[in-house]
This record gives sequence, structure tokens and C-alpha cells, in this order.
Amino acid sequence: MAVPPPEHPDFLWRNPEPKSSYDVVIVGGGGHGLTTAYYLAAHHGITNVAVVERGWLAGGNMARNTAIIRSNYLWDESAAIYEQSLKLWEQLPEELDYDFLFSQRGVLNLAHTLGDVRESRRRVEANRLNGVDAEWLSPEEVQDVCPIINTGDDIRYPIMGATYQPRAGIAKHDHVAWALARRCDELGVDLIQNCEVTGFLKDGNRVVGVETTQGRIHAGKVGLAAAGHSSQVAEMAGVRLPIQSHPLQALVSELFEPVHPTVVMSNHVHVYVSQAHKGELVLGAGIDQYVGYGQRGGFHVIEDQMAAAVELFPMFGRAHVLRTWGGVVDTTLDASPIISKTPVDQLYVNCGWGTGGFKGTPASGMTFAHTIAHDEPHPLNVPFSLERFETGFLIDEHGAAGVAH
Amino acid sequence: MMLIPCPHCGPRNETEFAYGGQAHVSHPEDPHALDDAAWARYLFYRENPKGLFAERWVHSAGCRRWFNAVRNTVTYEVQSVEPIGPRPPGGRPAESTTSEGGHA
Amino acid sequence: MADILFTQGPDELKRAPLAPLHRRLEEVSQPAPSTIRLAERPFTTQIGLRAVPDTAAHRSLAETLGVGLPDRVGEVTGDAADVAVLWLGPDEFLVVAPPNRSELVPLLQEALGAEPGQVVDLSANRTIIELGGSSARDVLDKGVPADLHPRVFPTGTAVTTTLGPAAVLLWRAAEENWWILPRVSFAEYTAQWLLDAVREHRLAAPDGVSDAVPDAVADPAPASAPDSREEAPWPATTA
Repeated sequence: MAVPPPEHPDFLWRNPEPKSSYDVVIVGGGGHGLTTAYYLAAHHGITNVAVVERGWLAGGNMARNTAIIRSNYLWDESAAIYEQSLKLWEQLPEELDYDFLFSQRGVLNLAHTLGDVRESRRRVEANRLNGVDAEWLSPEEVQDVCPIINTGDDIRYPIMGATYQPRAGIAKHDHVAWALARRCDELGVDLIQNCEVTGFLKDGNRVVGVETTQGRIHAGKVGLAAAGHSSQVAEMAGVRLPIQSHPLQALVSELFEPVHPTVVMSNHVHVYVSQAHKGELVLGAGIDQYVGYGQRGGFHVIEDQMAAAVELFPMFGRAHVLRTWGGVVDTTLDASPIISKTPVDQLYVNCGWGTGGFKGTPASGMTFAHTIAHDEPHPLNVPFSLERFETGFLIDEHGAAGVAH
Repeated sequence: MMLIPCPHCGPRNETEFAYGGQAHVSHPEDPHALDDAAWARYLFYRENPKGLFAERWVHSAGCRRWFNAVRNTVTYEVQSVEPIGPRPPGGRPAESTTSEGGHA
Repeated sequence: MADILFTQGPDELKRAPLAPLHRRLEEVSQPAPSTIRLAERPFTTQIGLRAVPDTAAHRSLAETLGVGLPDRVGEVTGDAADVAVLWLGPDEFLVVAPPNRSELVPLLQEALGAEPGQVVDLSANRTIIELGGSSARDVLDKGVPADLHPRVFPTGTAVTTTLGPAAVLLWRAAEENWWILPRVSFAEYTAQWLLDAVREHRLAAPDGVSDAVPDAVADPAPASAPDSREEAPWPATTA
């Protein structure tokens, strides 16, 4: 055990019965739904809020991600929202009075080809112009930051350098969910589990509530934060989304003494690795290529990701895989999220975070809460509207997002 | 790992195939006649069903032919495969084979 | 056009794609050739054909070849020792013939005439690695996803598949004689993969002969494996 986990609180949240009516109902009790409820209650004074969750709280991608937090995105619009998110991560442990082990251990994004190098250096410059901490490191400097990585030229894709964001890091994702849920509950938000939305109540073009497996719930406004299942939920309200849902897999090894001091990501060989606080190595891969809701993917994807990891970190060849799992991620064509009003009045959507939703959780909730409270987007999420697919103002983050992030 | 029944080569491992997304998406006959919303629908909006999905695959490490498959996106089971081509209005192409169809 | 075909180049300028590995292929074949043999068969004549079945082009090409064209996956027409035709797709085929049979190209081009289709000299595209011996299938099973059981993959079957991550044509030319056709740029990788994959089988020769035993006592050639000694249709080039 590397670090003893902080003591777990005795009480987190009530399990209330749903009331017949709320000012706002949030569909989806994952990270994004919980932060949205938190910012509605704590920053907009809207506390008559319910978060309805089909399964258990934070049991979807919030329980399945690799917990990487960074903000080194290429375009101004993304840098702005992800950097805001990183700043919120820096203040949330105190704000929520819960140590969820946010560890700013830095992230290396490796470059393995000349194309990678050019693209990475461009991104470093773009990041600096946007006030994001970013550096370009030579292979020797990469070795200094992460001594266990193989920077030799004896591998198929030698490391030619890396971007480095020192303020990036990881957090303990389940503790993040509990911290948010506890504070939401304290502020009067009803967190309702085992409550699947089966339909929407509409009055003309205006949404006025939801039908659920626990009965009808009236609502002034409804916000959707259903990740991989966003298409299905939105379709019940008559809204079509430019989303495709794919399996995304990850795995952990057994526990080790601390060996890996930072976060290493490589788009080129499709792997990203950190070492969690307990000591397990956490590895993620790219998405499986097909549309899938099975929360599982092909073993060959895991195999390829392991091959890449073992080549980059020769010592991992002695480690054993402990568990592998999969989630369902909602991807957009430009690898950027949608935080937007919809063609239906008082219905708002927050989706399309694809493979990188965890790092965006705080800013996602902050901007979505603002959008719901004011029926107008926050300046940070104006560019992330549904309309961008019609105006052509896409925010193409495939380079920064990679196959997965 | 899915076992995908190529209509020409029979069941082969998923690793021999590449994915082509939703099937039967035809290029608009007159793109200039579309407004921005309709063009966006053509370009960016695809079905994303939880259940049966008509999609394209190519047997890239085999016969290199594209084909359409109807696959369940929850169980990943391939229900049927059929030749490539636009879906005629009102239903399936007449020629379609089931996943039991001919392997040597 | 025919005068610039690869297969008609001067013989002394030809270089086998795996020439640098021929010695190693020979070495691993020494201790127990009835168990494992590896060799390259370079410079075969290979011609890519495209013709849709039931068309004049298809009939004309089939007639000119004299051995017909295969009509389903896995099928090979003709004779591995002479002219054979492999099925690549519903309208795509590969003629494989011994070296220096490039006269087939203009012959087939003439047969196709102006009909829709294709006749292309692909002789430089793929080399052939021969993997023989009683353990050959075990070696292939480590890296080929296709089912190689004789029930599904009898002698005379050929398919396009993968060996490890490399795309190859795999042809069971005789019961214990498998021909692997990687593209030339993947040939060295494929050969290295095979050299690695055969190691454990060389150690487990049928009567306990191992690498540690001098070559002289190797090759026990049990009488129960008659096909393993099958004569190659033409000598493997080792130069």
C-alpha cells in the first residue's frame, strides 16, 4: 500500500423518495449530474433539485474511468473550459471539505514520430498562449520526470520527446463522487437511485417533467447528463443527438510499491498509464471501433494496449493484470462535448464527453448549471452548443484527445 | 472478440475486419438543395440504437469486400449479413443471408 | 509492355526477399526436418486476376489457364507444383506458378481482351515461405486466427488471413506442407515470427532429439508420417 486512504465519512447521503415536483430534475447520477446539481444548489441558489439515476450513484463511467485530469487542449475554446475545470479541481477538495486525493503529479503526452513532435510542440505553444502550463521535454527530460520509461531507441516507436503539464494529475474518482453527493445532499438535493427515466412530460414544445420507474416527477427544467445513454434518453424527448456510443476499456494490475511518479499518455501506441494511490497500475486503451452498449469490448484491444505499455515500461512485463472492464462512452465527430440548450424548451443536454469526461467534471457541472439556471449558456460553453454541427464551428480535438484521454 | 460472418469468407475473427459505421447512408442527390440543418443531419447525425443496428464492415484482412451487417449493439451478436448497397424503400434487399450462411 | 515485366528481368539481378535469412531458415530445418522445416520459395510467377463470375472475361481466363478459377473461399484450382489459382475474393484471384512463367501474363491479357477485368503481374508482391513438418500446424495455430483443423482446412485449401499481426495468404499445399505468402515488405517480419515460433518444436522432436544433440543424429523421420517427406514440387532456392 503506497498511501493509506483517508478515513471514510460515516454518512454520505439520504435515500429519499422522489417528490412529485422539483424546480430542476437532472437525469444521470454520475460525475456530471452530481456537479451540475452541486453548482445549481451552491452557486445559483436552486436547491429544489432531484438527480435521478437508473442504477446506483456514480456507477457508470464515473466508476470506470482512469481518473486523469489535465487541460492541455489545442483550441482556445477547449483550453478555456478544461483549464477552468483544472482550476476548479484545485479548489474543490477544500470547497467540498473532502480529500479526494487530487494529486498534481503531472502528465506526459509522448511523441513518437516527427508528425507527433510537430503537433505536440504546436500544442505546447497554443497552451502557453492560453495560460495553460505546458512544456516540451526532450527524451532525457522525459527520463528525469519518469525514470522507469524506456527512452532508448531499441523500441518500435522510440520516444522523441513529450509535452508535460505539471499541474495535471489524477484523483480518486469514487471519492470525488462521494464528496459531491454528500454536499449535494447537505444542500437539500434529492439523490434518487434505481430511478430510470422512461419518458418525458411535455406541454407543447416545453418539457414539464419526467416519467420514471418510481412514478411521474414534474419539473420546471430538465437537464440530461446520461453519458453513453444520452441518445436514448434524448430521443424519448424528441431530440436527436450527433452521438455514437462505443465501448472503452481499462484495466488495473495488482498493487505495487510506488514506481510510477506521473501520468504517461501515448496516442501513437494507444496507451495511458498512471499508478493509483493504493498502488495498482491503471491502464487505458482506445475505444473499440464499433457502436456498443455492452460495457465490454474485445480482448485484442487490451492485448495491444498491454503490448504498448510493456514496450514503454519494460518493468511492467513482470506485472499481472488484476481486472479489466469496459464502459460506454458517447463520442462526437469533433471529439468535443455538447453542453447546450436543445430544440425543446427547458430541456438541456450535457453529453459527448467521449473518452475524456472525468477531467471535465467540475467545469461541465459549473457551465451546465449556469445554462439551466439562466436558460443561457455560460460564456465557456457557448462554443459547445448543438448548433455547431450546423454552423460548422467544430472544435476538433482529435489531436489533443487522441484515441482516448 | 466477435466472430463476424463475412458473406464471402464465413465466420472470421473481429481483428480481420474494420468498421464502417451506419449502413445505408446515401449521399444526398443534390447537396445544394439542402439547408445547413439537413446537411448537418447527413454529415454528423447517425443512428445510435441500443439493439439492432444496420452497419457496414469491411473484411480488410480477408477478401477485402465491404458488406452490411445487422448486429445487436448490446449483445454484439451479428444477426444477419447482406451485400453492400442502398436499402430500398420499405425494407431489406431481397438477397440476404443469415449468419449460418456458407463457410467452407 | 510485357518486356518490362519483373519476372523477365535478368536472373543474376534477382534477389530473394529473404536472402539474408536463408542460412537461419536452413539451420532450423536441420535437426528434425520431419518435425519442422522452413524455406523460402522466391521468384514464383504471380498474376492477379479480376473477373466477375458468369461473365465472358471469367470464362475466357478460366479457359486460357486450363485449370478453371476457384468459385468460393478456400478453394484452389490447378496444381501447387505447376499452375494454381487461389481465391482472394468473389471476383479476385491469384495465379501462382513456378518461376519464369511470365509468358502467362500476355497470354491472359490477350484472353481478357477488352472485357471488363484485370490481369496484373504481381510476382514481386509476395514471396512464399514454406513451413513443413509434423509440427507445422501447431506453429501456425499460435498466430493464425483461422481454424486449421483438417475438417475445415483440408489439404489444398488457401485463405487470406493474418499470421500474428501480418496479413498473409495461407495455403496448405500438402498435408504437412504449408505455404505462407506475406507481402515482401512483411516477409522478413513473418520469417522472424516463424523462426521464433518454431523454437519450442525443434526442442521437442518426436523421439526426444533436442537442440543439444548434434545434427548428425537428428531427423528421425518416423514411418508413421509419410506425408512429411513429400517431395517439394520444385527445389527451394537457397541462394
